Amino acid sequence: MSTKQVMTGNEAVARGFWEAGGMIASSYPGSPTVQMMDTLKQYPEIFAEWGTNEKVALEIAIGGSIAGARSMVSMKHVGINIASDPLMTFTQVRTKGGFLLVVGDDPGLTSSQNEQDSRFWGKFANMAVLEPANPQEVKDYMLEGLRISENYHTPVLIRLTSRLCHCRGIVALGERQQPQVEGFVEDQARYCMLPPYANQQQYFMQERMHKLQAYNNEFELNSLEEIEGADALIITSGMPYENIKEVNPKASILKLGMIWPLPMENISKLSAKYNKIIVVEELLPFIEDALKSHGIKAEGKKYFSFTGEFTVGSIKKSFKEAGIDFAGSDALASDLIDSTQLPKLPPRTPMLCAGCPHRPIFDILKKARATVVGDIGCYSLGILEPFEVHKTNISMGASLGMALGMAASHSLSDKKKPIVATIGDGTFFHSGMTGFVQLAQTRENITVLVLDNRTTAMTGGQITPTTADYFKEKDYYTVSIPDILRAYGIQDITVVDQFKYQETKEAISAAMKREGLSVVVTTRPCALNFKVKQPHYYVDDKICISCRSCVKTNCPPISMELYEGKDKKNSYINPDMCVGCSVCSQVCPVGAIKCSVDNKQQGGI
Amino acid sequence: MSATNILISGVGGQGLVIATHILANAAFQEGYDIKTSDVIGLSQRGGMVWGSVRFGAKVHSALIPDGECDILMAMEALEGLRWVKMLKPSAKVILATEKTYPNRVLIEKDEYPAAIEDQLNQLGLAVFPVKAQEEAKRLGNIKASNMLQLGMLSTLLPFAKATWIDVISSSVPKSTINVNLAAFDKGIELTAKRI
Repeated sequence: MSTKQVMTGNEAVARGFWEAGGMIASSYPGSPTVQMMDTLKQYPEIFAEWGTNEKVALEIAIGGSIAGARSMVSMKHVGINIASDPLMTFTQVRTKGGFLLVVGDDPGLTSSQNEQDSRFWGKFANMAVLEPANPQEVKDYMLEGLRISENYHTPVLIRLTSRLCHCRGIVALGERQQPQVEGFVEDQARYCMLPPYANQQQYFMQERMHKLQAYNNEFELNSLEEIEGADALIITSGMPYENIKEVNPKASILKLGMIWPLPMENISKLSAKYNKIIVVEELLPFIEDALKSHGIKAEGKKYFSFTGEFTVGSIKKSFKEAGIDFAGSDALASDLIDSTQLPKLPPRTPMLCAGCPHRPIFDILKKARATVVGDIGCYSLGILEPFEVHKTNISMGASLGMALGMAASHSLSDKKKPIVATIGDGTFFHSGMTGFVQLAQTRENITVLVLDNRTTAMTGGQITPTTADYFKEKDYYTVSIPDILRAYGIQDITVVDQFKYQETKEAISAAMKREGLSVVVTTRPCALNFKVKQPHYYVDDKICISCRSCVKTNCPPISMELYEGKDKKNSYINPDMCVGCSVCSQVCPVGAIKCSVDNKQQGGI
Repeated sequence: MSATNILISGVGGQGLVIATHILANAAFQEGYDIKTSDVIGLSQRGGMVWGSVRFGAKVHSALIPDGECDILMAMEALEGLRWVKMLKPSAKVILATEKTYPNRVLIEKDEYPAAIEDQLNQLGLAVFPVKAQEEAKRLGNIKASNMLQLGMLSTLLPFAKATWIDVISSSVPKSTINVNLAAFDKGIELTAKRI
């Protein structure tokens, strides 16, 4: 068997953890880190379980570490916000089993609601931060990170970005180290973080950071590539390093493996030899500011953007501005294809899948002109045209508290109008239940639509506690959302099958008219994840009046086409794409949309 | 030796990620260094997707610099036109000519561009058009259109056919190996006819 393999950064995280004898792993699904847990689950030696949210996931890893097992938790950048409560206190503890927090940042916001720079957690939580540049380094740094964690009794943050998570490269494989787990050893002074124990830990953390800084001055994963006679020193880390190598600048390069705490002594000495110190780092000036506050004349954000991802092209542009020469190819305008004559191309934005159970809900809400507070999931696509139904989008579970605050402000200023919130089942369990407890006794007119599609759809279809409720054959425990809400004392709950369009429309409309909290739970499962495929529908163009009611439901197979011999367009359904949900046929005012199989029940499974 | 740069573009759900996986592993088995990048996430929901594969003696960046792409494998017509600024003037384009309308075309706010193949030809690019989905459907599985286009791509790359067969067989679900290999062969055959 080959000792090398092609792997993504995400797969290399899992491989590194396995080779290091890792035992306890948890996570909450979020792009770009989902594939880490998917891969961890393939190793039988590892307890690998999705957490209810990032906080629970991090707590699982804390438990593993305290019991002496090498442990990790992975999440996207915004997940750390939720997990930060246990993190900020756990970091005071003298870590026992190696503990890694593996995070996927998202420069350029390819699939996130913000662009926050996770490196700052290193400073905030007094922990080491490692930043690999390619899949091989990802694997190596997982092993090194666990060693550092145990040697210095610190949590270690491994910081990846979307590009590195999804990048493939060649990785050399190693054997698994056999873990030695002592089990939990009682020691209240070590694990009970309250005064007086927690007071003395402030000194422990300070000393730990000093030791880590001294270690980083000698750290073998930092590398220096010096060019004789170079005027400039580039300081960088992570993926930007690989792009810089592609550009091949005429400057020395210090590539940092550990970016917090910084090897200040080392950098100070080195900097004295150069006229120009250029820091190349994506997002905020984390390294640059630290160097400046240490009296080093570093420059960076003067030339490089504070937002988005760096490319070979953007680095070349910034190097030119910074006066750094480079040898890498620099295609001249005449070498490029002249595409200026091409027409402006339509963008290809994401949209709800064919047969998506959210579609009729958005169609109904748009027609109702409702004020809708949105949440995070596939249904966030309700922000986009043609629906443009969601008027707000902040963070997981935020729709509930926000709806209450908005409704109360309107009430107090005589601007009373019904407020509608949407939340999916994944988000409900992640951080919606506390919001519902808050809303349970409200007298404001709030209607919450719980879009229970039985999966965490946006991140690739991970299970939720309602998955098994619909698919009875699955051997997995099940929780009923209406039962939970009833236990909170919420009584106004309507459960609807949203593929019964008219019934659902009436239920939502009636709920919006009622004072106090009303909840409508929709029950249709995700068409993509559960591979729903029913006989397709078609348009009878002899009946179609071109009113576009079906097109407005915005389903990928439905477009307006010119049928042969006609001068006006009629709607058309691509039979290869239609999965037979029947919603378009139900909004058609003239019955022009029919099922390809006779007597089929509407939307039935 | 500088890297060979291949861009694959398409629409979410067309099997682009597995195509970059297979291409990367074929290059690896042939002894090259490789880097790839896929843009995934929201894309499964009908969004724009693209992946890059770079191979050579040593590859640093996973991203193809503007104007340095050697071959574009477009799995949808409009997505063949979108990436033109990435291409070398001498680039080759393997173009699936079937259309998947983006949202703004469905809701009649934008027009789908006309005569895409002609536009690419006028830019001086070598275009290899194919009705990839129609051909794959004829072989029994519309989803094998990605393998059909990889078959076409394979005729432009210096990898042994045995390598391709080995990588495809170990990358796709067992029950679909035959149809995927048939699609791959069909792609080679269609390209040979054109040349």
